[in-house]
Amino acid sequence: MGIFHSLNTTASALTAQRLRMDVISSNLANVDTTRGRMVNGEWQPYRRKTVTLQPKGTQFSSMLQMAIGKTRSGDVGNGVQISRISEDTETPFKSVYDPSHPDANAQGYVQMPNVDPLREMVNLMSATRSYEANVTVFNANKSMLMKALEIGK
Amino acid sequence: MKLFGQTISSLERGLNYSATKGKVIAQNIANVDTPNYKAKRVKFKEFLVDAQMNELRAYKTEHKHMDFPERNVQPGVFDYSNFRYRHDGNGVDMDKEQANLAENQIYYNALVDRLNGKFNTLQNVIKGGR
Repeated sequence: MGIFHSLNTTASALTAQRLRMDVISSNLANVDTTRGRMVNGEWQPYRRKTVTLQPKGTQFSSMLQMAIGKTRSGDVGNGVQISRISEDTETPFKSVYDPSHPDANAQGYVQMPNVDPLREMVNLMSATRSYEANVTVFNANKSMLMKALEIGK
Repeated sequence: MKLFGQTISSLERGLNYSATKGKVIAQNIANVDTPNYKAKRVKFKEFLVDAQMNELRAYKTEHKHMDFPERNVQPGVFDYSNFRYRHDGNGVDMDKEQANLAENQIYYNALVDRLNGKFNTLQNVIKGGR
């Protein structure tokens, strides 16, 4: 562990939260996208994407390194990372009646993306607050390091 | 006679504790949105008492008895088990972490000030009070 360990930890969190915001932006931008992907010659609407976070250093490789004693176990941790961006296949698409729409089916219904703007906004607020909290931690650690430079002056 | 005495090494241990605590708080707040993450804590005592003194020893009444396995965790850092679960299994209490962060910062500053005071005293003695 170096002296900048905690700053790197916070930096990883800032990166993760920013990526979360990017994914939420993408969801909100595609709230009306009916042509997200071509499947068997048919257009499918955009699928809402979600991110999964996990602490860094819990992958198989680092667990193995720990088990064979290469690295010191019980390390405080290396921060957080996005383990995957997955598509939300559980929430159903919304059906909207609009016979004039080019993508409407025989009954006149159009499949709209499963993006709920309300839910995305709530997630966006959560990501923003987490980002702010991490900025606070970053500043606190920075001032502690600056104070350490004053030792012996 | 020792020139530096015990004070400086005590302060050093305090600074080590405080720096580790800073790292742990950073780690906890970084993982505030991670499902099933368990918050970590730092034990003050283990940083002050010599690690050797605090080690758990097996009491052997028979030579075939085995020792307790060596603890391979970093001294003083442990998972905090007594917390409320959030619905996603995350155990980070943001308010508490922020409070700890502020407290830790002040504590660190106080230790550095004290250390500087100690050095200034020595400087004063070396210069003969001039």
